[in-house]
Amino acid sequence: MTNPLRKRLPRDLRSDFGKYLVIFLLMVISIGEVSGFDVADSSMIRAYQESFEKYNIEDGNFLISNKASAGQIRSIEEAGVTLYPNFYRELVLDNGSTLRIFAHRSEVNKACLMEGSFPRQTGQIALDRMFADNNGISVGDRISSGSRSFKVTGLIALSDYSALFQNNGDTMFDSVRFGVAEVSQEEFASYSKKYLKFCYSWKYQKSPSSEEEERDMAEDFMEKANDEVRLEAFTPRFENQSITFTGEDMGSDKAMMQAFLYIIIVIIAFVFGVTINNTIQKEAEVIGTLRATGYSKNELIRHYMAMPLLVTLVSALLGNILGYTLLKDFNAYLYYNSYSLPTYVTRWSPGAFISTTLIPVVLMILITYLSLKRKLSLSPLKFLRRDLRKTSRGRALPLSRHIPFFTRFRLRIILQNIPNYMILFVGIIFANLLLMFGLIFPSIMDHYQATIKENMLCPYQYILQIPMDAMDEDHRFSSFLNLLYFSAEASSRNEDAEKFSAYTLKTMEKKGTRSEEILLYGIKRKSSYISLPTDLADTEDGTEIFISSAYADKYRLKAGDRITLREPYDKDTYNFRVRGIYDYQCGLTIFMDQEVLNRTFDLDPDYFSGYLSSSEIKDIPQKYISTVIDEESLTKVSRQLMVSMGSMMNLVCAFSVIIFMILIYVLSKTIIEKNAHSISMTKVLGYRGGEISRLYILASFLIVMIFILISLPMETAAMKAIFRIVMMTSISGWIPFYLDPLIYRQMTALGIGTYALVAILEYLKILKIPMEEALKETS
Amino acid sequence: MFLELKNINKSYGNKSNRIQVLKDINLSLDKGDFCVLLGPSGSGKSTLLNIIGGIDRSDSGEIIIDNEAMTAMSDRQLTAYRRRHLGYIFQSYNLIPNLTVRENIEVGAYLGRHPLSVDEMLSVLGLKDHERKLPNQLSGGQQQRTAIGRAIVKNPDILLCDEPTGALDYKTSKDILGLIETVNDHYGCTVIMVTHNDALKNMAHRVISLKDGTIRDNYLNASRMRARDLEW
Repeated sequence: MTNPLRKRLPRDLRSDFGKYLVIFLLMVISIGEVSGFDVADSSMIRAYQESFEKYNIEDGNFLISNKASAGQIRSIEEAGVTLYPNFYRELVLDNGSTLRIFAHRSEVNKACLMEGSFPRQTGQIALDRMFADNNGISVGDRISSGSRSFKVTGLIALSDYSALFQNNGDTMFDSVRFGVAEVSQEEFASYSKKYLKFCYSWKYQKSPSSEEEERDMAEDFMEKANDEVRLEAFTPRFENQSITFTGEDMGSDKAMMQAFLYIIIVIIAFVFGVTINNTIQKEAEVIGTLRATGYSKNELIRHYMAMPLLVTLVSALLGNILGYTLLKDFNAYLYYNSYSLPTYVTRWSPGAFISTTLIPVVLMILITYLSLKRKLSLSPLKFLRRDLRKTSRGRALPLSRHIPFFTRFRLRIILQNIPNYMILFVGIIFANLLLMFGLIFPSIMDHYQATIKENMLCPYQYILQIPMDAMDEDHRFSSFLNLLYFSAEASSRNEDAEKFSAYTLKTMEKKGTRSEEILLYGIKRKSSYISLPTDLADTEDGTEIFISSAYADKYRLKAGDRITLREPYDKDTYNFRVRGIYDYQCGLTIFMDQEVLNRTFDLDPDYFSGYLSSSEIKDIPQKYISTVIDEESLTKVSRQLMVSMGSMMNLVCAFSVIIFMILIYVLSKTIIEKNAHSISMTKVLGYRGGEISRLYILASFLIVMIFILISLPMETAAMKAIFRIVMMTSISGWIPFYLDPLIYRQMTALGIGTYALVAILEYLKILKIPMEEALKETS
Repeated sequence: MFLELKNINKSYGNKSNRIQVLKDINLSLDKGDFCVLLGPSGSGKSTLLNIIGGIDRSDSGEIIIDNEAMTAMSDRQLTAYRRRHLGYIFQSYNLIPNLTVRENIEVGAYLGRHPLSVDEMLSVLGLKDHERKLPNQLSGGQQQRTAIGRAIVKNPDILLCDEPTGALDYKTSKDILGLIETVNDHYGCTVIMVTHNDALKNMAHRVISLKDGTIRDNYLNASRMRARDLEW
């Protein structure tokens, strides 16, 4: 004979359909999303990892100012590498975006054709798929740059540009304003050398066996290459954000999504724990009778666990089906929205099954089992007497008779429901944290853009490109003459222009953080743009500097601290002493005296490498301008994040609102239901509807309000910590944390609104209960 | 003897307000006996019933049932003991609200090694026409009949009844008592019934009267009355 208690399950389900439905939906959405994400992510990561071999991705690349001679190439290759020319030129399209154009690659860094065909003739071009999407360009369209025009024959993903970083030191890539493309060899051959960037990719002849070995090999190779040619940039693969950023980001996303699912499951398990607890209280005498008649504790535990488990299993099944079908494509779309990934093949991941089915079910079993075991360990007699306390009943908390009766009544209700309120508090914190996560993103980006606009050193910064022959240490006299010539040529007569020296160093690598580029500004004394003390000098402790507030915030530095930075391309290190913090949020920078900078890095006393200016400089030959730092270039981080994360954040926002509403609904419902009998009884005694709602619903309402308000600082602290971790591990540069006060108001309003809705629904339900029900003994 | 209690003592509370509710209780019952435990409120009759039923433990003394010492049993063994030997009926019926009459009786049948037929039980209890109803669709008497069905369908050796008619009117009470009597006659199980209704002693084989935790009277009823003939 099967246990007849099982027949209760469908009836329990029917009688509490609303509660089970919302929990079910919450789990299906969570499991489905995580499952879909997991499958898409695993498949994408697999495709990404396979792309290294499939498309023969380089082990690194370096940039030099002129084409290397055959002798130089031979000599460099003696270091155990094979070099591949990977030249490019950049064109500014008519829409203002920059396109980096390569000749069609057939050996290294090969492209994946996503749509259409590769260019075969002059005048044809294959564009990066994401760049094309972001600029509304399709196969067959024409794009133009001045008088030059191309027909788009295909959309591609270049294997060494899964993240479209224009410069490796950029905080973020900008797939709206920067893209990559391939043209035919014939087309590329027609470009004048003066527009070309001489980039060489290398592959080791013997692959490194570990990351450490790879680093050592890269360092050795850099020294060898630097002996032969003057390196303008040297980027081993492990430091190339265009290649590694995507893989690192995908890995961290996965961990985040799984953590998110487990938190949801634990919350739901606690919700089940609370509802089971209430059921046990309601059915105490029945349980006592069953136990007295011979039902074992385990039989009852199994019975009360059945529904939560059933809901979890069905949700996991449906969630997985949804995840593997609709949501997988949706998540893949989100990735394609962020990265320029090659095509992928769906991989059925056992990891997805474990993380979205096995672990939630085990978590649910564990939490419900432990809470039931604890509760059902009471003796049958205690159940029969409805005395479900583990410890002896304490005396009621004395409340002064001077407190108005209604207030005392409400206080008693609150005291009686403390365990339920605690769960509600945890639920509110979690739901609000998610909500904050969804709401905060646009405000951080808007604030960052506004800060940058207000906080720029000057409207225009020009970084100059100094000719190599002006820096040749082997021919000092001719290089001195060349530098003089360059200084004369690159001197601006613009009265706003102020010369400065720039130098780039890198932070020392620490576990869990990436090495980042720090831009050093050598500023002239009494600068019109940057006000520094005039006595900044070299000391025994290190060179005195000011650091940007962004640098100070990110690395938690303060005046008096010492920092060590290293040369990007060799092992030399430099010590600095932080004299003060300069309010500048646009980058990780150091400000120091120009003379001191030139001396520190062994540069000519008159050396300068750029201009600060409040107006556009037009009288310098374009060939000497390497980079213009203006508002547009500084806001590209926020622009790209909005493009790639915007839709994801809207999703998180919508999801968090749903979770918030569901949690508040289920937990508040539980509290109100627990008091349903008493509410009905007060009706019998003659209390009016308004009075009942003032007693019961207002008590919970006040608690919810208090919880929402006291949870806000906790959520803010948690959000700050999470944001910092993301910034430290995933983003070069710094975006300051900012929480728009409006978000607090939105969250509070949403919390109150949701609770009010639930309270009205519950109140209407309670009003419908006939008064005789309150008096009737039904079991 | 089928059931033997030797020197049972039980007290509640801690040192300062300790109340001894049972003092040196000794009694024995044969299989098939109908025993009524009488006494005023607070006399210890329900506590004694709960100790016999294995849902409460004595502080000292010994209980032997069918040659098994109950006092040495672990919680798990006590559950097995209740499952094997006992049926329980309470003043409040404690039916499962979302199971029908038949299903509530099946809840008891599931526990028995050799349960009685549920259909037969429904007929005996006069519940055949109500078998599909939920408890809240029944009168108090019908609910108590269902509770009796749940208790006896598993064919227990002992039926423990704690004020089974306490919440019922006169006529229904007599019906229920008749039913318990029938169960005792028909199925031969030992019945121990706690009541404060003095009239019910007349239907018992053995009457035990408790006051302040001690047995005041313990005698065999020479002239047993049928339940239908009882009056109070």
